[in-house]
Amino acid sequence: MAGKSSVAAIYFAILGIVTTGFGIANILVTAGASEFAYGILEISGDLFRGGWGGAIVLFAGLFYLSGARNFEEIHQFSKIVMGSILIWIMAGCDIFAMITESIPGGEDGPWFNTLDGFIGTYAPPYAPAVLLLPFSLVVLYYINKRNQEM
Amino acid sequence: MKLTIDQRWDLIDKIAKQTVTFGEYRHTLKDAIGELTIKPFTGIPIAIAVMYAFWSIFGSFAGFFTDGFFVRLFDAYWLPWLQEVFPGQGGWLYAIMVDAGGIEGGEFVLSDNCLESFGVLTSGLFVAIGVVLPAIVIFYLMLALLEDIGYMPRLAVLIDTMLHKIGLHGYAIVPTILSLGCNVPGVTATRILETKKQRFIMMTLLAIFIPCGAQIGIMQDVIPGLMGWILLYLIIGYFIFGYILNKIVPGKAPEFLIDVPPYRRPMLSNIGKKVWGRIAGFFKVAIPFVLLGAAIVGVLYQLGVIRFLGDALAPVFVGWFGVPKETAGPLIAAFLRKDLAVAQLSVIEMTEYQMITAVVLVSIYFPCVATFAMMLKEGWKELLGAMAVLTVVVFAYGGLIHLIGILLGVA
Repeated sequence: MAGKSSVAAIYFAILGIVTTGFGIANILVTAGASEFAYGILEISGDLFRGGWGGAIVLFAGLFYLSGARNFEEIHQFSKIVMGSILIWIMAGCDIFAMITESIPGGEDGPWFNTLDGFIGTYAPPYAPAVLLLPFSLVVLYYINKRNQEM
Repeated sequence: MKLTIDQRWDLIDKIAKQTVTFGEYRHTLKDAIGELTIKPFTGIPIAIAVMYAFWSIFGSFAGFFTDGFFVRLFDAYWLPWLQEVFPGQGGWLYAIMVDAGGIEGGEFVLSDNCLESFGVLTSGLFVAIGVVLPAIVIFYLMLALLEDIGYMPRLAVLIDTMLHKIGLHGYAIVPTILSLGCNVPGVTATRILETKKQRFIMMTLLAIFIPCGAQIGIMQDVIPGLMGWILLYLIIGYFIFGYILNKIVPGKAPEFLIDVPPYRRPMLSNIGKKVWGRIAGFFKVAIPFVLLGAAIVGVLYQLGVIRFLGDALAPVFVGWFGVPKETAGPLIAAFLRKDLAVAQLSVIEMTEYQMITAVVLVSIYFPCVATFAMMLKEGWKELLGAMAVLTVVVFAYGGLIHLIGILLGVA
């Protein structure tokens, strides 16, 4: 049990470091008023998604780091859950924006997007929160486990 | 039947045995998350994330309907069709109802989009249905979700200390957020505040610094890149003048006690009822004002009243506020329709900073007619007081923004 808990603590500590790094990178890119793209990663340079959003990714990272120690304790665990919730908020907003962009046909096109255009909207690169999303979902396993133990 | 003291205690014990469960209380995950959202150190980052989600979803949803479908529907189909079938092109009724157009080379030229036509059936309907309706629907939906989940009381607790600095308390967040949808229910919601002083401060701040959904919707559509700066200026003004009002307005600003409910899963039927009720209210109160406002603005333009006032007040606008002379007309028309005024400003050539100043001025300049009527209903003394404050604020804050621009070298 203690072994499993320490694995979880290490996992969320690493996730926290990566998330914090993404948050800082987001803020730095916004401060430089530019965009950054590398492979499947794209960091927006606009004040809203890059600056405000970057601050939230940074907070998520800090929640993970703060909660990783003494992971079994409920208040510490709630910080991990909150870190994941912040990632879900950010990723959810990005995915919702993708969905709303993918349906209309654009200013001079038809009313609705073509199938290629629709699918193309969901192609990479993605914002950091979207890339972090699958890793943040691991917390659901621990929530479920905790519920079963109660 | 009279009970002795001992009998009463016995009865209490019996009832307690039947109703109270004793045992070790275990903190649940929901409890711990609830605590995190109230403590300032963790609660403020969460509040920042909630507000981000609010505006991100608002922008995506409103943009989906307005830019994705309504702009095309109104500009490519509705406007050209009306321009063709409505009789009396170039006449005053045509200008008021369909298209005020413009003069190029001595000839009357029709507008090519609904933001520039300024007719009741074109700009009026486009703003009401194409811009404001999607914005209002998503705004009230998000608000109802936050209320029913149980987040709003936590936000009230979180912001309580800050709002005490301006003579209000945490619950003042309710009229403030409601006003972001429409100022009219916002003014009504000031009744949840206990003292006259609090209600006056709240009403005045709402009327001056809180842009309504119609204005936000149109800003999102025509000047999305500048919206952040405009809202930042308004938030700063909200707190500066709130602080000053708290110092000079006599009266009490008591503490408040709030029962924070646990987080709950929202019920779809409740959300539906709330959203429908608010949207129906908005349709009844605000939509007629949008259309009536568009008509009155059109009539005043046709009579040359706005041009005359614009010319007369141009030195003040140019000299004191640092905005171009052409903005005088829309700024005066803003009394009737702030959303239309923002649309008018968006087509005037000016620097980004001048645009920010002009739109902030539209926001703080005067409450829209519907809000004005609602404030009058709350009391004429309060309305007069609020108007006096407003006049001072417009000149002081408008001049201050110009001064900041000069100091930064951008004005």
